[in-house]
This record gives sequence, C-alpha cells and structure tokens, in this order.
Amino acid sequence: MNSATALLRRELRLAFRQGGDSLLVVMFFVLVVVLFPLGVGPEPGILARIGGGVIWVAALLAAMLSMDRLFQTDYDDGSLELLVLAPAPLEVLVLAKVAAHWLTTGLPLIIVSPLLALLLNLSPSGYGVLAAALALGTPSLSLIGAIGAALTLGARRGGVLLSLLVLPLFIPALIFGVSAVDAALLDLNSRPPLLILGALLLLALALCPWAAAAAIRQATE
Amino acid sequence: MKRKHQRMSLLGLAALAIAGAAALILTAFEDNIVFFHSPTDLVTKEFSPTQRLRVGGLVEQGSVQKQGDGVTVRFVVTDTAESVPILFKGILPDLFREGQGIVAEGTFRNGVFQASEVLAKHDETYMPREVADAIKATGQWKGDE
Amino acid sequence: MHSFANPTRFLRLTRALQPWAAGVALVCLAAGLYFSLFASPADYQQSETVRIMYVHVPAAWMAMFCYVAMAAGSASFLIWRHRVADLVAKATAPIGASFTFLALVTGSLWGKPMWGTWWVWDARLTSVLILFFLYLGYMALYNAFDDQARGARAASVLALVGVVNVPIIKFSVDWWNTLHQPASVVRLDGPSIHPSMLTPLLLMAVGYTAFYAWVLFLRVRTEFAAEKIRALRFRQAAVPPARELKSQEG
Repeated sequence: MNSATALLRRELRLAFRQGGDSLLVVMFFVLVVVLFPLGVGPEPGILARIGGGVIWVAALLAAMLSMDRLFQTDYDDGSLELLVLAPAPLEVLVLAKVAAHWLTTGLPLIIVSPLLALLLNLSPSGYGVLAAALALGTPSLSLIGAIGAALTLGARRGGVLLSLLVLPLFIPALIFGVSAVDAALLDLNSRPPLLILGALLLLALALCPWAAAAAIRQATE
Repeated sequence: MKRKHQRMSLLGLAALAIAGAAALILTAFEDNIVFFHSPTDLVTKEFSPTQRLRVGGLVEQGSVQKQGDGVTVRFVVTDTAESVPILFKGILPDLFREGQGIVAEGTFRNGVFQASEVLAKHDETYMPREVADAIKATGQWKGDE
Repeated sequence: MHSFANPTRFLRLTRALQPWAAGVALVCLAAGLYFSLFASPADYQQSETVRIMYVHVPAAWMAMFCYVAMAAGSASFLIWRHRVADLVAKATAPIGASFTFLALVTGSLWGKPMWGTWWVWDARLTSVLILFFLYLGYMALYNAFDDQARGARAASVLALVGVVNVPIIKFSVDWWNTLHQPASVVRLDGPSIHPSMLTPLLLMAVGYTAFYAWVLFLRVRTEFAAEKIRALRFRQAAVPPARELKSQEG
C-alpha cells in the first residue's frame, strides 16, 4: 500500500510541477463543447436537447487526449520496468497511476461541466445529475483507457490506435451517462442509469487493473 | 504481507467489487427503466407540447384510417386503460397491423400524438401462413391477433 | 489438445481436413440457399422478407463463435505460448469480422421493411457493432508493432478483454427492452420456429461453420508458408553472393 501512495504522490507532484496537462485537457473539453453551438446553430431548443450528449462526447475525447501519456513516458525512460519488478503488486500500482490520471484530468472536467451546461441552455434540473453521472463515469473511462494505453506502448501511430481500441469500449458509459442526463431533463427517473454507471465503475475497478497489468508485463518482457 | 497473500486479498477485493456491481444492476432493473411512456402517462401527466416523447402500446382494433391526403395515417394506441390517437405521415413498417405492439416517437399536443417515427416490434415466432391459419382454426392460438 | 500445438502435426491435420470442410461447406450452402430462397414457406407475418433471416441468423451466430474461438486461441497462446493457437486466432479475426459485417448489413436490410428503420441504437445492435470494432481493433493492434511477437501478445490481451462483450450480446435481448426479437432456436422450451423453416436455417448454419473451417485452414497454412518464405529470405540475405552464383551453376 505504501508504494502505491508514494507512486500516487509522485504522479500528482509531476502533474503539478508541469502544470499544463490539466489545463490543456479542460481547455480542449470547453472548446469542443463551444464548437457545437457554432456548428448546429444557436437555437436554444436544439442545444438543450443534445446538450447532455455533447458534454459526454467531449468528455470522452478529452479523456482520450491525455491517455496515451499515461504509461508512455515511464516506458520510454525505463521506470515502467522498475514498477513491474517492484515488490508491490503491479495491479495496485496501475490503480495508483489511474487514480492520479483521474484526479488531474477527470475531476477538472466535472468541475467545469455545470458552466458548459449553462452555455448549452440545459435546464438547471439536469446539472446535479450531469455532475453525478460524470463523477461515476469518468473514473471508468480512465480505467478502460489504461488498458488501451498499456496495449499500445511502443506501437506505430499509438495515439490513433488507442482511440480505435478504447472508444468502442467507452460506449456503455456514454449510453448510460447520457440517458441519466436525458431522464433528469424529461422528469423521468434518473436513478437506474446512475446505478448502472456505478456498476460499470465497480466492474472496471475489478477487471481493468488486471488486464492493464498483463498488457504492461508483456510490453516490458 | 507475502506476495501470495497480497494476490489473494486483491482477488477477494475484485470479487467483492463484481458482487457489488451485480447488486447495483439488479436494483437498477427493479426501478423499471423507462424507454417509452404508456398512453395512461400521456393522458394523466403534464407534458410540454414541444417536448419529444416516445409512446408505446397496442394498436387498437379497427382504428387505422388513411387521411384525406393519402399519406397521413391516423390510428389509436392503447394500454387497455387509456388510449391516445396518433397521426403519422410516412411509410409504416410491414409488421404494423392492428393488435400489434408499436413504439412511436414525436410530440403530444392538444390530445393528439404527432409521430415522426413509428417502429413495430416483432416476436420470436416464425411459421408458415398455412400453419398459423390451421392453429387459429383449432382455436389454440395464443398470439396477438 | 496440446498435441495439436505441434505445428507439423497441425499442418498435416489441416491438409487432410481442408477438402472435407470445403465439400461440406459447398454442399450445405447450396442446399441451404435453395431451401431458404425457393423451397421454404413464407412467414405468416413477415411473408417473403423472412428469407433474409436464413442469411442473417447464422452470420450472427458465427460472429460470436469466431470471437470465442479467437479468444480461446489467444488465451492458450498467452498461457502456454502455443504458436499455432496464435496463428488460429490471427486467421480467425478477418473471417469473424466479415461474418459480423454480414450480420449487420443483412439485419439492416431486414429492419427497414419490418421495423421501419435501418438501424436503432438498442442493446443488441449496439453490442454487435462493438464486436465489429473489437475485431478491427485486434487486427490493427496485431500489425501495429515492428516486432511481430509483441503485436501478437498485445492483440491476444485485447481479444481476452473483449470477451466481456459476448454474453452481453447473447443476453441483451432478455435483459433489456430491445426492438430485436429474443432467441428462437436456442431456448429452454424448444425452438419457436416451424420445422419447415428450421431445416434451411440449420443447413445454412452447418454450411457457414464448414466455410469458416475451410477458410481458417487455408489461412493458417498460408501463414505458415509466408513464415517459411520469410525465413528463406533471411537465410538468402545472410549468404554471400558468390555462393549464390555457384548454386545457380550447379
């Protein structure tokens, strides 16, 4: 456990020292969302109807954007091999890295999401559910993305390949995330999709670290 | 902790998380996920006339009429308690017929549902027409017609 | 099981079985197509459109069967390092992707007249689309590395991750309120499909499976041949040109 918290602290310190990553991801997120009113026209009715989906798709793309850096730098300078050889289980170390990734990229997205909902004329009844859905959904994205990031270590055109592998696996989180927001906007019960998002997160927590660790082991072997 | 013990406790945690996920999914299904509203919902609840809705139900016997312009169809869907008239302009799916279940998407205003899309649901039974007729003749038909 | 891991024995087996698989595939597909297009009755509700089902349903079955075969091959490659298992998985991927594509296209052609739409985003259709992307991802990942062995291992891990999707496809029609109808043939209380329509369906299913075996054997043998050629090229590049001249004279 100690080594996992140490790793988490190192990752966070690196992210804060370099600083740019979180800001970049948030700026990308905001820009993608802002492009939509310009693309589909500023009619409030249309924006309010597609707003939940737009914010979710932008969140997926933003999560993807930073994903290929998750293991690549450690792979290049060799510290990933040290992690594989460390006495602590690799699965736990992967979890620590994913947690750091989520804290630096996922959490900022949730914080700015109400602002974007306002820009898209989403009715205020959906704000809480949108934030809750993102809070349950974005950690799953980081976990699933970790598998893709580990699989594409050292691949040609890794970034493009990563999106091909990972975006289809993001679809369930996208579906239930959007349906939670839509349900709240239509005054339907938004509890079932939120519960399923929670279930997806638990499943991802249970399974993704093993798969990502296996992928890292075969990449460094 | 020994390496082996670490692995075992990790496996235990993963199993716990999977069990939790299963429990959450089961509770979610108890809440009855709503894909469409029933005609009773439409009549009793308040909906804004611009809001897009889905309504599902059975097409009432003898309610399908072509309108004067030749392309608009008017029919009634029912959940046996309440029924709602639907106006639809376009080509109906082949499986659309009286007594069959359908899902329509559109807006509800002034007591009439303006559908932009009508989908028919098919069941898993396949048989030749003669066999279907023969079963109906013996009175053992359990289908929807 | 492990005795097939010996490449020579496996190659001998595929060479012996390939003509049989080809024969069964051609006979069953010809008979199945004749029955399903001409010699079977129209459905009491769908009338003639039901004939699409004979092409669509076996393709969907094979799409899942091929994925399971690919994942099993990948697992045995990762666990026991069987080269043959990896080649079987690699050779299965494009075949499975083709079956999935066929199922998606024929389903779409059936859905337009029957449901009234080419495509709906319900659980069954979406999960099959994800299956198609998993096949594509497997193939892309396999070829993404300069070191071929590394690509094989990474793709195998991906194939195993994607197995989660298979039960979701199978049970999506029971778990969710989908537009897609539930299973008609594989169900607890016996098939809900009339024997006159079940016969062509099963003939087609046997034909598809034999066709898969035929193409699989062909592809695996091609892979081995390609590997042999690559090894020969390496050896040729390693020997000095003088000896090559001499060998031409001899």
